[in-house]
Amino acid sequence: MANRIVVRDVEAGYGGVRVLHGVSMHVEDGETVVLLGTNGNGKSTLMKCIMGIVQPDAGEIFLEVDGRRFDLAGRRPEEIVQLGVTLVPEGRRLLPRLTVRENLLLGAYRAEARRDIARNLEFCLEAFPVLAERQKQLAGSMSGGEQQMLAIARALMSTPRILLVDEPSVGLAPILVSRVIAKIRELKEKRDLTVLMAEQNFNQAVKIADRGYVIVHGRIEFEGESTQKLAEHELVRKYYLGL
Amino acid sequence: MFSLDLFLNALVAGVLLGGFYAAVSLGISIAFGLLDVVNIGHPIFVILGSYAAFVLNDAYGLDPLLSGVLFAPVFFLIGVVVYQVYYLSFERKGESPLRGLVFFFGLLFIIEVALLLKFGVDYRLIEAPYIGRSIHIGEVGIAFRLLVPCVVGLLMTLAITQFLSRTFYGRAIKGVAQDSLALRLMGIDPVRIKTIAFGLGIATASVAGALLIMISPVEPSIGRAYIGRVFAIAVLGGLGSIGGTLTAALILGIAESLTATFSGPSWSLAVSFGILLLVLAVRPAGLFGR
Ligand SMILES: Nc1ncnc2c1ncn2[C@@H]1O[C@H](COP(=O)(O)OP(=O)(O)OP(=O)(O)O)[C@@H](O)[C@H]1O
Ligand SMILES: [Mg+2]
Repeated sequence: MANRIVVRDVEAGYGGVRVLHGVSMHVEDGETVVLLGTNGNGKSTLMKCIMGIVQPDAGEIFLEVDGRRFDLAGRRPEEIVQLGVTLVPEGRRLLPRLTVRENLLLGAYRAEARRDIARNLEFCLEAFPVLAERQKQLAGSMSGGEQQMLAIARALMSTPRILLVDEPSVGLAPILVSRVIAKIRELKEKRDLTVLMAEQNFNQAVKIADRGYVIVHGRIEFEGESTQKLAEHELVRKYYLGL
Repeated sequence: MFSLDLFLNALVAGVLLGGFYAAVSLGISIAFGLLDVVNIGHPIFVILGSYAAFVLNDAYGLDPLLSGVLFAPVFFLIGVVVYQVYYLSFERKGESPLRGLVFFFGLLFIIEVALLLKFGVDYRLIEAPYIGRSIHIGEVGIAFRLLVPCVVGLLMTLAITQFLSRTFYGRAIKGVAQDSLALRLMGIDPVRIKTIAFGLGIATASVAGALLIMISPVEPSIGRAYIGRVFAIAVLGGLGSIGGTLTAALILGIAESLTATFSGPSWSLAVSFGILLLVLAVRPAGLFGR
């Protein structure tokens, strides 16, 4: 099953304020692509455009599943999720007054995911033992790191064809960031996921990325076809590696 | 003079009343507690349920419980329409829930007046073979016209809690007021979920109405007496907690029954609200509020 996402010449913003200026990028089947950008450069806005939370003013966004093309622009978020694209959003957006288990089960709402619910639940609880121990705890009372694990696990419950992750490292101590990133890599290997991840923690992101883009003020300034190429680029050296 | 028999009888009657109150409060607990929709008009749907049971009982001698169940799908559809109107004219525009309060208050009066025009101010009651009966355990009498509503109220509460915790729709209903974008990111349409939930709340009024007319004769305006009571129960139990609603309904039923027996019925409602204020002073989220 071949899945890919293509973003072409997308312009988008909020009200009168333009945030993305002609962004083009793509994620191919089985790849992990990192979207690098410091605060306010438009990473989350691009994620929101793909998910239908923000509608682009121009350009196209489409998903290909086995050669069938689905235009995402103009669709509502819930339809896009039904097509198999799932976002782990900025701020995690767990349902704080539901239990860990209830959050996970809701993740499997998508029609295609319901058949896999037992298998997915087993997988998630095995991948994140801390969630298995805390199934009955309210999601809002978990620690930041645990909440991030839950947010990722909940997204996996939907059997995504393509997983978008918006800054998993935010608000976590360095040791937890390493752990979360290691987890994503492990999941990716076990499940053949196709992943697009927004990050500003370069050193962590390159641990799992195959290649990436650098976004500056809503424009793709550099496309690195390998993490090696990214690391060598002056922008990355200057802003992300402090060299 | 304190009499133990009197006390036990009042206590039992209170528990039975509480089960019935739970049935009447379920719809509020869903709309107000889980959806943030201040459906102050809920009691009039209960009265509507009573009249539905009355009409079928009067014409065909149909058992009120059967009417309650038969009409539940109709009430569900009424709830769907009411929520859609409310959503399109208030919620979607981001109007404050206070404006919605006016909408539901208006609805309450329109339905009440319509019932008044159709049926007049006469008290209506129904007949069923079990209504006059009772059983006695020692000195304590248990009237079937209270026992049946209590049992049905408990069963309905149980069914709703099971639905909420075991189905996809149910879990989505529990989450919808917490973060609707989060729901959309799981592929769930929040408006659809709220519509279903609101319809379900109104459907419970069909059954609750049938129970009400079993307990006492009904005329169009008696729904008003329930407005304060059902909100008190929903808040006392803790918004969003159906189990809390049941507990609160039992507490209020017992308190009202004891008060009515020992101090006279006019004190009942005052005691209910006294308990509510006391609990909220100690636990602002209610008994089982999160
Ligand atoms: N809802 C909104 N309304 C108006 N402007 C917004 C909104 N969300 C984001 N912006 C603006 O769009 C720009 C890009 O924001 P975006 O959230 O996409 O950045 P980001 O790269 O994700 O940053 P961060 O790393 O801080 O999350 C910023 O200038 C921000 O102020
Ligand atoms: Mg962001």
